[in-house]
Amino acid sequence: MKPHRRKKLTIIAFIATGLSVAIGLSLYALSNSIDLFFTPTQVAAGEVASGQRIRVGGMVKEGSVVRSEESLHVEFIATDYNNDLQVRYDGILPDLFREGQGVVAEGMVADGVFQASRVLAKHDENYMSVEVKAALDAAEKDRAAAGPAGESNGS
Amino acid sequence: MWLWFSKLGSPKWFYELSTKWLPWLVVFMAVSMTVGLVWALLFVPEDYQQGFTNRIFYVHVPVASMSLASFPLMAVAGVITMVWKMKLADMVAKCAAPIGAWFTAVALITGAVWGQPTWGTWWVWDARLTSLLLQFFLLIGVIALRSAIESPDSAAKACALLSVVGAINVPIIKYSVEWWNTLHQPATDLTMNENGANGPEIWVPLLIMFAAVSCFFAVSLILATRNEILMRERRSQWVMDIVAREKV
Repeated sequence: MKPHRRKKLTIIAFIATGLSVAIGLSLYALSNSIDLFFTPTQVAAGEVASGQRIRVGGMVKEGSVVRSEESLHVEFIATDYNNDLQVRYDGILPDLFREGQGVVAEGMVADGVFQASRVLAKHDENYMSVEVKAALDAAEKDRAAAGPAGESNGS
Repeated sequence: MWLWFSKLGSPKWFYELSTKWLPWLVVFMAVSMTVGLVWALLFVPEDYQQGFTNRIFYVHVPVASMSLASFPLMAVAGVITMVWKMKLADMVAKCAAPIGAWFTAVALITGAVWGQPTWGTWWVWDARLTSLLLQFFLLIGVIALRSAIESPDSAAKACALLSVVGAINVPIIKYSVEWWNTLHQPATDLTMNENGANGPEIWVPLLIMFAAVSCFFAVSLILATRNEILMRERRSQWVMDIVAREKV
């Protein structure tokens, strides 16, 4: 390689590396603000001031959803499997909202309860057809039914 | 070695080679695009959570991946332009910018259309969506920069530098879903078919769409580059020969 080309290539590599490091460090420093939501653990640890508008993300705890009979009021528990956070919401939930699924709620903490003004559903990276899901559920049910019987027969 | 390298950089050589290969690429693209689209949009089974909304995924994912490929491509071409002053590299870089911008726009739009029924919102300022929007603006910036500078040589140099700098955003987009918590889901690992999820009925059509969309990207880029070659080399003998032959 000719010397002047080598010199140019070095300069470009230097600029690119320098900028990458600078951007990397700023992103690392900003990572709390880049995160879209706080986890229930962070809320429990008191990282959020009461009355501050934030987003909280977690899984909807199984069996925790309580819907009001006469209004859109709904209460559920968002969990990251370490800590739970009680969420209250008046409004329309997205179609994907269900127990055991991820959710991101916008609102504020008041008296240890999260009052949400908007609830978004989070989709995970797994996709499954209705047929496969039904087959899996049927197999699960068979196992559950056979489980106790199988034990008593076996012993 | 150096002979081969300089031959690669010759617009004439690229033009002649692409004339030979382009029909094959177009045929492959047409077949895979037809099979992929029909399969993905009409026959992919309903998702157990999203219903038929999951079919957008088959356009969104390949298009978004190719939009991420456009910036590194421009950056490599930019380094070649700056260091070796190869004319062909700058032509490719110039043509890749608008194509990349269109791919990014389609990825953003299909994502929003999917987000509305799935998440409950068209848009959210999470790391993945914001960094992809930034890539869109960077590509628009590269296009604007080129048309703003009158001298082609200075424009090539300025765009090359902006492409190298802008390419730093690509790993940020790719890993945003792992480094930070986002509403956008992380990439699906198709080698892991845990609990029956992501089985072949899901990934085979995706693979076909990947092939189709990357061919579409390549065909668009080659066609645009061929035009650019003819335009810039219009005073050279070999282009005049082609024009004379086409006229007869």
